[in-house]
Amino acid sequence: MTETMARKGDTSKQAAGGRMPRPRRLQAPGLPWILPALILSVGLIYYCILYTVDISTLNWDGASPDPESVGLANYARIGRDPVFWKAVTHTVIFFVVTFSVQTVLGVLFAVLMHSKIKLAIVYKVIVFVPVVLAPAIMAPVFRQMYAADGQFNWVLEHIGLGFLAQPWIGQDSTALAVIMAITIWQWTGLTFVLYHAAMSQIDQSMLEAARIDGAGNIRTLVSIIWPSVRGTTVALAILGAIGALKTFDVPWLVTVAGPNNATQFLGTYIYQMTIQLAHVGYGAALSIILLLLALTMAIILQLVGREKKGLR
Amino acid sequence: MFEVRSRRNKILLQLVATAFVLPYLFPLIVMVSGSLAGHGWKNYADVIQVPGFFRFFLNSAIIAAGVIVLVYGVTMLAAYGFAKLHIRGREVYFWMLLACLTLPEVVLLTPLFTTTQQVGLYDTYWSVILPLAALQVPFAVLLTRNFIKGLPDEMFEAARVDGANSMRGFLYLVIPLTKPIAAAVLIFTLIGAWNNYLMPLVFLQSQEMQTITLVPQFFIGQFSNDQTRILAAAVLTAIPEVIAYLCLQGLFERGLSAGAIK
Repeated sequence: MTETMARKGDTSKQAAGGRMPRPRRLQAPGLPWILPALILSVGLIYYCILYTVDISTLNWDGASPDPESVGLANYARIGRDPVFWKAVTHTVIFFVVTFSVQTVLGVLFAVLMHSKIKLAIVYKVIVFVPVVLAPAIMAPVFRQMYAADGQFNWVLEHIGLGFLAQPWIGQDSTALAVIMAITIWQWTGLTFVLYHAAMSQIDQSMLEAARIDGAGNIRTLVSIIWPSVRGTTVALAILGAIGALKTFDVPWLVTVAGPNNATQFLGTYIYQMTIQLAHVGYGAALSIILLLLALTMAIILQLVGREKKGLR
Repeated sequence: MFEVRSRRNKILLQLVATAFVLPYLFPLIVMVSGSLAGHGWKNYADVIQVPGFFRFFLNSAIIAAGVIVLVYGVTMLAAYGFAKLHIRGREVYFWMLLACLTLPEVVLLTPLFTTTQQVGLYDTYWSVILPLAALQVPFAVLLTRNFIKGLPDEMFEAARVDGANSMRGFLYLVIPLTKPIAAAVLIFTLIGAWNNYLMPLVFLQSQEMQTITLVPQFFIGQFSNDQTRILAAAVLTAIPEVIAYLCLQGLFERGLSAGAIK
């Protein structure tokens, strides 16, 4: 999206130059207009980033007036920090799983709701409501639901899967899965609404032609619907990747990043380091690495998306 | 999309849809039934009687309103400037703003913590309003600028020829014509501010300043982990959001979708 915009910007400039030499005076100076936004956003955010870069070279507890400068030692420590690598691994797993499952479910719901089923509006509301609810408010519900004596195990027992019952959030092996399940529960509604909108744009005559040629439901989905919504998929991938790097609320409130760092993410780790353990310098170095990861991710996915579009 | 002709397949499709939707309903059922366990409706009465319970709502509303006003104001001005006015090095400014989209909010904690304490903004509404607005503005500007760019240049030129300066162009053309996109901006800013947890957690220390996202942990302290009342509190804090969504379904879906595509 951003890149198409940039392109549009270029062409309009060329057109303005080529078509009619419009006197500049007619376009009032715009700098004062964008200044408030620049001061608020760029000012505050870049100030914070530079400040963080500065702190990241210190061995600082956040309170002592005269912190010791340690150069890049904090960054060197990150490379050797097993918890950091754990958090990175969790982020990657989290992104791959939540993105894939949400995409499958989102496309499925979108197709189903386009298929003249009964009560479609009620279903849509149920799937979308989680998007509106704050994770912080839902956290106690999920803590109870996935506890050893919680309702999730109760359901498993009543549908004959009682042997699967276990303390889902209390053990390393399943805690991350719970965090991912909650995230999927929360965001499928958005994925679904976006795909639903994208599918409304598909040319109906194309679908009809495919059917006349004998394509079944599955074939139509794979060969026509799925390629038509690629733009949405790319956008959701970018959003999901950045979202995964920003993950904080759910692992913090449901499992407190535990047990044994089993649900540690970069956001929760930075919070623990900075606020709880007062390793402010190290937390700042982690923040900078996180920021670089997010920027790199956005650029890579933007380029990948552009390439795919170019090929088509 | 899917075509089913026979009655049997129609029922099958309906069943599949229901089977996939039910898991989404389940946590909500757990929440409501859990909140009524034990003493039933009395749990709600207990929660409402806790002194200062409505203060959380008031604080969230004040913060959300502050963020919305700030974001709307600077976004409209900037989007108009970027879309229709002459700015040397415009793309540079624009990309500086866009780069902020990727920023994880946790990066802001330490600098803002130190700075707000130095300038005396710590534990005030501003310590939450300013960073939240700063984080929302880049995307709001991106959306609104695209929208304003789509408005015909001729209209603005005609206004200028008729003697309207850029301020009048802004007030009489931009503000009324951008209503659809402003609604989307309003919704995702509202949800972003209302649901935010990290900023109030770090920057609002005193009880009477805290927001609804801090309600669960407040009640965990208040009721020493009495799950039923904690869930009753969760239901009460969720209700305004659900009602707002049900009343403005289309607007919420459009607004949040617009807010999602980066």
